[in-house]
Amino acid sequence: MIEQAEQLWLSEWLPAFFNPQKRIFWGYLLSSLLIALLWLRLVKKMNLRSSAIQIFNRHAWISRSALADYKVMIINTLLMLMLSPRLLAKATIAYLVFNGMHMLFDGRAFLSTDLPQWVIALGFTLFLFVLDDFARYWLHRWLHTVPILWSFHKVHHSATALNPFTVFRTHPVEAALFSVRSALVHGFTTALFFFFFGDQVTLMMVLGASIFTFSFNLLGANLRHSPVSIRYWDLLEYIIMSPAQHHIHHSTAKEHLNKNFGVVLSFWDWVFGSLRLSRAGEQLNFGLSGEQPRGQNSLKGLYIEPIHEAGVVFLRFFSNHLNFIKNNHII
Amino acid sequence: MNKLFIKIPAFLLITLVATSLSFGSVHANTYGNFPVTVKNYSGSKKDSTSYTGQMARHVLHNSLKKLTGKGNGKPNPELKAKMLSYYVGKDKGRKIIDPTTKDDFNIKQTMVDQISKGKNLKGKTYKGLVNGFPGQMTGPEVIEFMIDKASSTKGGFDPLTGYNYPQLLSKFMMGAVFYSQAVNNYLDEKLEADNKPNNKPYKKGKHYTGKEHVWDEAFGYFGAPAHAMQLSAKQAYGIAKKKDMKVADANGDGVVDLYTEMTFAHAYYAADSDKTGTKYMHTIVGAFIDGRKLISDAGGSALTDEQRMQLMGYAKTIKTNWEKVIAEAAFKYAGSCYKDLEKLRTIVESNGDASKAFAAYGKHWGEMKGFLMALETSGRDLGAAGVRMNRLVGYGPVLLGGGQVTGIDASGNLQTGGNRSMGEYQVHMIKLQKLLGDTFDLKARKNDATGQMDGLLKSLGTSRSAEND
Repeated sequence: MIEQAEQLWLSEWLPAFFNPQKRIFWGYLLSSLLIALLWLRLVKKMNLRSSAIQIFNRHAWISRSALADYKVMIINTLLMLMLSPRLLAKATIAYLVFNGMHMLFDGRAFLSTDLPQWVIALGFTLFLFVLDDFARYWLHRWLHTVPILWSFHKVHHSATALNPFTVFRTHPVEAALFSVRSALVHGFTTALFFFFFGDQVTLMMVLGASIFTFSFNLLGANLRHSPVSIRYWDLLEYIIMSPAQHHIHHSTAKEHLNKNFGVVLSFWDWVFGSLRLSRAGEQLNFGLSGEQPRGQNSLKGLYIEPIHEAGVVFLRFFSNHLNFIKNNHII
Repeated sequence: MNKLFIKIPAFLLITLVATSLSFGSVHANTYGNFPVTVKNYSGSKKDSTSYTGQMARHVLHNSLKKLTGKGNGKPNPELKAKMLSYYVGKDKGRKIIDPTTKDDFNIKQTMVDQISKGKNLKGKTYKGLVNGFPGQMTGPEVIEFMIDKASSTKGGFDPLTGYNYPQLLSKFMMGAVFYSQAVNNYLDEKLEADNKPNNKPYKKGKHYTGKEHVWDEAFGYFGAPAHAMQLSAKQAYGIAKKKDMKVADANGDGVVDLYTEMTFAHAYYAADSDKTGTKYMHTIVGAFIDGRKLISDAGGSALTDEQRMQLMGYAKTIKTNWEKVIAEAAFKYAGSCYKDLEKLRTIVESNGDASKAFAAYGKHWGEMKGFLMALETSGRDLGAAGVRMNRLVGYGPVLLGGGQVTGIDASGNLQTGGNRSMGEYQVHMIKLQKLLGDTFDLKARKNDATGQMDGLLKSLGTSRSAEND
């Protein structure tokens, strides 16, 4: 058992800190720390000591809520090891789409290959980024607005303190949904571009990560879940989601409910009417709005309760429909 | 102190020599020069290696392939008879039509009899039904059908069906004769203890034992030059193309001996794969040499169960890798067909002349189909994978009008019909490559239609960890 834990530590947990495709890559954590420090020192005019206290405050890092984040991160790694091979693979989608395109166009339809390779690579990388972000917006929105999905997404929002590891505070069912979404977007985009441009398609990368993922993470993605609320200029917050805007998404205040679903781009929230800009000096409490249950940081609260609740939601939905069918003599 | 100075280097030297000797003995470098171990042998032979019959059959196959492309478009009984003499006949005086001397690549033999007398191919052809070909025919029936058709087809290529007979016949025959004989006979039931035992000569008076000759015959069918272990993939490949006289002429006598110095059939395709980094040729030839050495070391006694188990281990290595070589070749040509269909589409769309591109497509299809049919002659049931392969490919290449060979009518004519789009057939080629790659765990994967896409998908990373946004 100890040996297996050691193996997992070495093969799964530790490498995440050294993998630039992961948000908790040490470089991104460091850049986030520097950005937070600069913000507090230069904008908030705080001294170094106060800045450090705000960044490393006990509540954010070692409260019950934070400890639950770490616990979930470790347990989910194990669960995903077992679960991920059984989930829809992006290769499956890619083959399905690629083959389907042959039928649609009756063969392979190459588009002009005169374009410089970097243009095609940029096109692919940008398309992937935009579609990915768009799909994340909608899945995230549904996780909030569809009751059965909210039962699972609650786990993430039950965090009363935010630190970069809160990103892992996710119910496995939700993780599976994220994985399927990613497979659909990645598989579809890859097949689409490969069909038209063949070998010319490559992903523009820095340190093995897409330039957009890299930039997003380097420019402080970890601050979305952190005790430092960095705001952007109002105009920019219509396009790009600031950490402060994501904090509003985690706020318990009623008026903040179902706002700011976007990940990198807040543009989607603007277009689909869920945008809320940040305001200077806004004090927020994090957690579930008006329904903070007890034991939300326990294993039962994190893993079992959501399933139970989803079951209740499902049964209620089912019985309502059954009544409707009975009352209207459909059967 | 002084003594130590002497002892240490001496110890190191001895270790070094011993190590290099032990490494050197892993493989003898050539297949051949194995001692005569038959007990009470009174003749003068010193080398028990013998596989001339197999090399004669390679030459018969090469020559027949050449003849298959000689048709002039009209019924040609003379050509047909000549082809049959290389397939069915055992006559004396048959010329080697291929390989023949080219430029400075001097070939030692010009007549089949100079390698071995009285050999034919039909007697050694896989006798089972060939599912991949229309007409529910046995191996010999399929080949005789092809010979008949080819003899009256101009240049061996029939544009009405898309059949390229030299390719179809050659690639199928390599499987139905060489591969099938080796893996389904010599490396199979002939390795049983009481079948061709090692404590008796193969036949009365012969200078080799039962097992020695069985093993030699299997090696011969693979088609590798005896010095294959000393050759790179590129060199072995070049020999078949008659490019590198120096490399081919292992004994330096100024001529290439078709018995021991030429690359034929699947050895050539193994080398072709190996140019991309696989090691099929050396794995197979290495296992043949190790196995032969094991038999020689038994010194003419019956093999113990343990020795036979070890020998079967070598046989398994050979069979598995040989099968991969054929599957890699089918994979490669499925990729060629995919590309050909792409080219054809462009030509047709621009109203260009598609005849050349169509002929190239027919050629590649014939190679692919022949190799796929070959895979079914090993005696190993490919099960669902075999069925899928045949269904994906069908009986003929999809023609420009959407038709495909569907069967053979009562008078023996190939029928075409159906309406499959070329785009759909391209998808079939992709699916076939995926099926072959997965079923046979292929590594060379030449002309992989979706290889770059797989690489692209990989570059996107995994979504294995559970992360929120």
